[in-house]
Amino acid sequence: MAHAEAYKDPGSPEEQTRRTFMANAVVALGGVIGLTIAVPLVWSLLPAAEASSTGGSPLTPEEAAALKKATDKSPVRVTFNLHETNGYFGATDTEQFVWAVAATEAQMRQERPELFTTEKPTYPVVNMGFVIFSPICPHLGCRYAWNQAQDKFLCPCHGSVYDIFGKHEAGPALRGLDPLPLKDYQGKVEVTWIEYQTNTPQLVIQQIG
Amino acid sequence: MLNWLDQRTGALTQMKEFLTEDVPGGASYWYAFGSATVFAMILQIATGIFLCFYYAPSTATAWESTKFLIEKVPAGHFVLSLHYWGASAMIAFMTMHLLQVLLWGAYKKPRELQWIVGVLLFIVTLVLGLTGYLLPWDLDALLASKVAIDIAGNAPVAGPAVQQFLQDGTTIGTLTINRFFGLHVWLMPALLVLLVGAHLSIFRWNGPAGPPIDEAPKLKPGRFWPEQLFMDTILSFVLFVIVLALAAFSPVPLDDKADPNNVTFVAYPAWYFLALYALLDTVGKLPSSIGQVASLFATIVGPTLLVVLLVVLPFIDRNPSRRLSRRPWVLAITALVMLGAIGFSWIGQSNVVEGQLRAGIIGPNAVVAASSPASTSSAATTTGGATSDGGASTAAAGASVYTANCSGCHGATGVGAPGAFPPLAGNPVVVGDPNAVIKIVSGGLNGSITVKGAKFNGTMPAWKGTLSNAQIASVITYIRSTWGNSASAVTEAQVAAQAK
Repeated sequence: MAHAEAYKDPGSPEEQTRRTFMANAVVALGGVIGLTIAVPLVWSLLPAAEASSTGGSPLTPEEAAALKKATDKSPVRVTFNLHETNGYFGATDTEQFVWAVAATEAQMRQERPELFTTEKPTYPVVNMGFVIFSPICPHLGCRYAWNQAQDKFLCPCHGSVYDIFGKHEAGPALRGLDPLPLKDYQGKVEVTWIEYQTNTPQLVIQQIG
Repeated sequence: MLNWLDQRTGALTQMKEFLTEDVPGGASYWYAFGSATVFAMILQIATGIFLCFYYAPSTATAWESTKFLIEKVPAGHFVLSLHYWGASAMIAFMTMHLLQVLLWGAYKKPRELQWIVGVLLFIVTLVLGLTGYLLPWDLDALLASKVAIDIAGNAPVAGPAVQQFLQDGTTIGTLTINRFFGLHVWLMPALLVLLVGAHLSIFRWNGPAGPPIDEAPKLKPGRFWPEQLFMDTILSFVLFVIVLALAAFSPVPLDDKADPNNVTFVAYPAWYFLALYALLDTVGKLPSSIGQVASLFATIVGPTLLVVLLVVLPFIDRNPSRRLSRRPWVLAITALVMLGAIGFSWIGQSNVVEGQLRAGIIGPNAVVAASSPASTSSAATTTGGATSDGGASTAAAGASVYTANCSGCHGATGVGAPGAFPPLAGNPVVVGDPNAVIKIVSGGLNGSITVKGAKFNGTMPAWKGTLSNAQIASVITYIRSTWGNSASAVTEAQVAAQAK
């Protein structure tokens, strides 16, 4: 080492003690600085826990009329505006859709018994003669679609197949389609948007929007 | 474990090699400014990365995302303030480092290139300061950057091309923000890190210069580790505590959103550009016959000459002696430039204060809150098309705010929705005490209310933050004077007073 003249002589015991103190001080102060910076930086990354739930999203009269055309043979894709908080954009209306199928409670009890026993949601499955399905495939979150020719809901991502009542028939999904609340609120039809955790056999609420 | 790592990477051996360095004449706090500047750079990179998690560069989102960061993100304002004051600290400590090297004569043979890399680092850091200034896209950001870009545009020969390059077009707009973002976040930091690497590598090749005497190499050497590094750490810690205190007690302000039509706002440059700002102001008072040449000198030629002088200094000042007494010219010019910089900064600061007095932002004739004249006209840009009449909130501006934000629940004609959202037409609260209305619109309303015998239990969001004070004032003025309602207009000042 060309530049290490000073290191040849270890110096007096006092000098050595002094150097040990300095080395420790460098490490200690460095640690203090690092921690002091790390706390606000990591803190700033904590996800915002903004409860954006406003209950239901009302459908327009046209959207409600479209919903009521659903039968137990042919579902209807119902679009509506979901009012949600979107970061620095603030309150934002996002177009969403759900699937509506005409069904009686007796039909649903027969086709989807788990929704009345082990996986019972906190709200009625059938309302106003319809069951509303979240458009999110319970496998891994893709959006499935109704295939009229096959009479099935098909997910394009990994091939999960559901019948018109949302019963899981084939493919990798662990449960059937998720029903969402539908209610008549003071003359207006309202859908409540709920996102359930995917790829679980149970209904685990992730977000109510 | 460490042994295993060292055998395969040489990490410990190289680290030891790097830290085992003689310091001629022993360690000194005078040598610690460079290290403290490197520390400030690390602080800037760390905080800058975290700001990138929230910042979105465009005219529609730059100011909004900065405001969101300040108001909604936990510790967001603090991290932004650390970055803001860290930039100042980096420039201040870098200037100290430059002055120390200059006075010590450490730029002399064989360290010419190390010095030149240092000058480049100084320029890159100033460019970082300048490009970062635009990003929040508030009134000050726009005006300060506009001036800087226009100055570049007046440069001889390349000026217009440089201006168009910086703006990415003929005007400052959303592409300019993207361009400055790219410069500030990618190109300049990359250059900075590479140049610091070169600076340190050359430093290790030549070794430290030692004190400003001619026999420095013969002095008894001290140790870099841990003696000099201890002092480096202490000074870095001092820098850190100062930045921490400034961030905590003087957090970075965000003015109203950038608005080219605002003529009342008094722009102020970053403190490290105050001297140039004052110089420009001073030459502006010269007779017009020489004014243009003088202003070109103040803005372009002067600073360029200064940089050129710094670059060629080691080749002009070739006398090998580093004694202060043998280098009167270097000392005299340095003192002159520093006195000039401090003096002009002082003048610049007074000019800003004078300008604010004239505009009524501060002092006995101050209108309302400092930002008020600004936010009225910024409402004009954010509501899209509605024009400001320069003070009073207009029902016309309010109508577009209402359509965009309120009509969804309260209806286009103010009839509301039964059970959820009360009607505004004929509602006694709406035409009653203006302060009550301001409170509801600004702060929102939860729970069940009764209006004219009917119950409503929808949720009224708080619009403060989403809408500016001017927008809130104009929309209240609108709902108080439409659909058969007839009540007094509400001014922005009333909203601002409630917001306190």
